Amino acid sequence: MSASNDAASSGPSDTPTVPIHLRPARPADVPALVPLLLRLKRLNEEFDPLLKVRDDAEQQANEVLRAQLSDPKAVILAAEGVGSDKDKVVGFVRALVRERPFYTPEWEGVIVDIYLLPLYRRRGVGEYLLRETSAALKAKGAGVVTAEFPAQNEIASRFYAKRGFRPIQLLHARSL
Amino acid sequence: MAESTAAPVADGREGRRRSRSKPSVAAESEGKTEALGRRAVALSHFYSGKVEVVPRVPVRSLEDFALWYTPGVAEVSRAIQADPDRAFDLTGRWNTIAIVTDGSRVLGLGDIGPRAALPVMEGKALLFKWLGGVDAVPLPIHAPTPDTFLATVEAIAPAFGGINLEDIASPKCFGILEELQRRLPIPVWHDDQLGTAASTIAGLLNALELTHRSVKEIRTVLLGAGAANLVTARLLLALGHDPHRLSVVDQRGVLDAERDDVDELMLRNPWKYRVALETDGGGRSGDFAHALEGADVLLAASTPNPNTIRPEHVRSMAKGPIVFALANPVPEVWPGVATAAGAAIVATGRSDFPNQVNNSLIFPAVFRGVLDARAASIPDEIVLAAARELAAHARDRGLSPTHILPTMEEVGVFPHVAAAVGDASVRLGIARRRLSHDEFLERARALMGRSKRLVRALSRARLTPSMPSAKALAERNPP
Repeated sequence: MSASNDAASSGPSDTPTVPIHLRPARPADVPALVPLLLRLKRLNEEFDPLLKVRDDAEQQANEVLRAQLSDPKAVILAAEGVGSDKDKVVGFVRALVRERPFYTPEWEGVIVDIYLLPLYRRRGVGEYLLRETSAALKAKGAGVVTAEFPAQNEIASRFYAKRGFRPIQLLHARSL
Repeated sequence: MAESTAAPVADGREGRRRSRSKPSVAAESEGKTEALGRRAVALSHFYSGKVEVVPRVPVRSLEDFALWYTPGVAEVSRAIQADPDRAFDLTGRWNTIAIVTDGSRVLGLGDIGPRAALPVMEGKALLFKWLGGVDAVPLPIHAPTPDTFLATVEAIAPAFGGINLEDIASPKCFGILEELQRRLPIPVWHDDQLGTAASTIAGLLNALELTHRSVKEIRTVLLGAGAANLVTARLLLALGHDPHRLSVVDQRGVLDAERDDVDELMLRNPWKYRVALETDGGGRSGDFAHALEGADVLLAASTPNPNTIRPEHVRSMAKGPIVFALANPVPEVWPGVATAAGAAIVATGRSDFPNQVNNSLIFPAVFRGVLDARAASIPDEIVLAAARELAAHARDRGLSPTHILPTMEEVGVFPHVAAAVGDASVRLGIARRRLSHDEFLERARALMGRSKRLVRALSRARLTPSMPSAKALAERNPP
């Protein structure tokens, strides 16, 4: 995992050439983050009816983001644009450090949300986001990084597979 | 079948509503269409189909079949087995194409299926033969999924020198065309994308010249994001149009990179998604009216409804704007209404108004050209070469606001477009046979002339019965 990342990035200390500025999100970012988070959830909805977005999702997004911004077990990074998009939040990552009581490594960093506005895609930004998020999760004690996304999302599958991820658990569902 | 070409205000009820400013045109044309329909059914019954297979060789007696068929033919097969390209010399493959459809978007009829699509494909085959001298086989296929469609066309390709895709719903037509172009070593064309876009571009080039505009400086709005307009957008960008001055509008408004449904488009219509990213709305977002303000050019290829483009829309554009209202059979605005609102040049898809944007000006000549060059594909450069030649031909005849494109009567244009396509194939290195410009031109003239002589000879010899009058038909086939 780390070996392939290093190969792709030629070392952890290089300056990013990607057109964004990445920083930890602040409470003042919440109004800008909520629409991005909702875009991601609506994209997920396209893949499965059991991922149908709730009517109160916007309020939920507000509350969850606010709560997790002060949670030491959460990593939320905001990507700002550059140039004419300076100071505009164009993407974000939300990841949570969870305990694995029966497995090692004992702590897992789960990327639950990763979203970029379309014009910032396919320019190495996702790769950079993943690398920085992994580093932040590692700093919080995670020994493994995982990513949650809809099973039918082949774009995400390919993105992670290309970066050394493999499926380790499956989540099967049916309505009750 | 879901359509992505709908205009912002179009629905079935609106589509049937008459324009207040030109009621007679709509009513008259509807009546005319009905009468033509009745006669077409009666004539189809009388002639029992529109095309048939006619031999290219003499048959003096059955003994000749020892040459045309077994045993002699085995040697011909062996020659092709040894060198597959020899099929283009030793069989009719050099001049034979398939007109393939799944019947999912036939004319204005929608998803009527392959059986009902056959008369349309026969008509297209007749156009190919009459105008282009091309032997086209009407081939509607039952293909419930794009994968079956692709596999079927790939399987039949060995018999053909080219494939003409026809009347396939958007957006699946984009994926099918791209994939077949990738898989097959012969030209694959989808007329609803490439033919319409090429004739639109041809008309636009001349309209720009007449109004002293340059493609690099204009602001353009494309209304409708279906088969034709998405390709028109791509060709405009290839011609140097500034992407940030190009707004593509569909039924949900301007396609910009941050529109609410942009992720859905990424999954369901990547071609529309690509345009959204490339143009980012052309610097605009929101509705059609907002996008249009100050625009030099409006290219509408949406749904039939004469009230889609209103006089105030045209008035909000730059001075002396160019308006193409290409929906068939009823344009998005009647030409008189657009002109009264200040449009300098108006084009439609109809032959009863000036400036008909008609893909029949393009496809017979494009196929004549690629077949004569034995081209391996039809890249956009060829589409643009055909458009430029068509525009040049109209220019030579004298441009005016009511003559920006050749009419179908100007048959002299076809061999020239074919030769331009042949030249482009050679230049691009995709021609298996590299003829000179004059050779392409002469060959096209000869083959196009030959099929007209053939049709006339069949009539003169009474092998094709002469066209019966409506009265005679009614007596033959009482209703």
